[in-house]
Amino acid sequence: MTDTVAESIRQDLDQGQVLRTAAGARRRRYALVVLGWLVFIGLWWLLALWVGSEARLPSPGRVFQEVLAILQEDFWAQFWASIVRVVAGFFAAVLIGTPVGLLMGRSKYWSNFLQSPVVVAGSIPGLTYAVMAFVVFGISFWGPVLAVGLIAMPYVAINVAEGMRGVDRRLVDMSTAYGRNERQVFRHVVIPSVLPFVFAGVRLSFSLAWKVGTLTEVFGSSKGIGFQIRRNYQLFNMPGVIAWVLLFVLFMLLIERFILVRLERRLFRWRQWEREA
Amino acid sequence: MAQVVIKRLTKTFPPPTKGGDPVVAIGDISLEVEGNVFASIVGPSGCGKSTLLNILSGVETPTSGTVSVTESGRPAHLGYVFQDARLLPWRTVMDNMLYVRDDGEAGETRATRYLDMVGLSHTHDMFPGQLSGGMQQRVGIARAFSVEPDLLLMDEPFSHLDAITARSLRDHLQELWSATRKTVLFVTHDVVEAVQLSDRIIVLAPGGRIFDDITIDLPHPRRATDPKVATLQAEILGRFEEMHPAPAPA
Repeated sequence: MTDTVAESIRQDLDQGQVLRTAAGARRRRYALVVLGWLVFIGLWWLLALWVGSEARLPSPGRVFQEVLAILQEDFWAQFWASIVRVVAGFFAAVLIGTPVGLLMGRSKYWSNFLQSPVVVAGSIPGLTYAVMAFVVFGISFWGPVLAVGLIAMPYVAINVAEGMRGVDRRLVDMSTAYGRNERQVFRHVVIPSVLPFVFAGVRLSFSLAWKVGTLTEVFGSSKGIGFQIRRNYQLFNMPGVIAWVLLFVLFMLLIERFILVRLERRLFRWRQWEREA
Repeated sequence: MAQVVIKRLTKTFPPPTKGGDPVVAIGDISLEVEGNVFASIVGPSGCGKSTLLNILSGVETPTSGTVSVTESGRPAHLGYVFQDARLLPWRTVMDNMLYVRDDGEAGETRATRYLDMVGLSHTHDMFPGQLSGGMQQRVGIARAFSVEPDLLLMDEPFSHLDAITARSLRDHLQELWSATRKTVLFVTHDVVEAVQLSDRIIVLAPGGRIFDDITIDLPHPRRATDPKVATLQAEILGRFEEMHPAPAPA
């Protein structure tokens, strides 16, 4: 009796220990993140002191004021303009890249036919697309959309092709043995196998798409974050340039963290156990 | 009561290396299996056992000869249990059961019944990755029974499991089979397992020819621990010894 009581108390203590350590680890992790930011801002501040000119390298405080000013002014309108183009270009990329990737993954013939163009398209620098889009469309909505679509498409296609090659032959055979038709196999075996690869392609090309989208706005737009960066640059307003860049980075990270990562976790709930198994 | 008729069946695969000889998996087999029989096909690995099941299920096509699997004149419904469970990892256990034959509520009732029979009623909403290998295989078995097949094909379903799990699953299978009496073609390299489960054992030799055809006349369900089963296992193992004599004691 005493033994079991002692045992259960010891277990409770052990469990408490485990909980404490888990909470402690989380606290330490957050502390390090905060520390990292503080060091970064500190270095920036020192560098600004050394340069000694708010016009050339503004201090963190000055930029922060600018950020607040932008947020009160027209940030949301500009941000919305950018995001609509990036998302539109991105959809175009997925819409074209997915079937291209399916073809490449499905047959040797199409793979040979499409492989080189896709790889070449993927290695062209984003700047080229930005310039091309401006030359073709001038200052318009479609320039950034095209640039984003072109830069993201090869990543989506290559990942989908990779996913197609990874489809488990044994599951296809199982479906055949149970008399499932080709459409059912495609829907229930092929698509779920390929989807994680599509998502990897999407996440990989998302940040790239943002960068190219912004770059294109610098040349060929009268709206959006890229345009704002150029305008502030032309006015020699360095705090404005940096403030816009910071806001851009911040919102890109937020979208990635809170939309893409969550969506991925939800869609691929089953994978968490696959990894453990 | 399915009827399986195999006539002069051969299957050769292209040579594995350039300029090599084609691989003969099945060399001219003729065979009939009929009625509520649990038939095992026994033979060493590489004698075309799995290929035979793949041809019967339409996953592969014969090189020559014909196979027909019918149930009173029409093509038979098949169930298939593989060496590995082959569940779709992105679908829950229940959705895996419904994938192979979805006829609404009736399908769900059947799926529930067979999951109960293999002792997995608590796993409906779990993903395959959450189950152990033995449990996944039980889902595979329940899935094969739940389509209420006329013919059930089983390809070494216990060979990837540890001995104790395999033994308990064989007893499970005996219970299920005695309750349903489907026509079964069961492929294995394990003679002892074949004797416990089957009414008929077809022995294949390397090169895919029929070497022997043995009838086992014992009532079902048979337990691995039943002395009658053990005696017969020893006797039939003895016959195989004649085929491959053990080294004489020094």
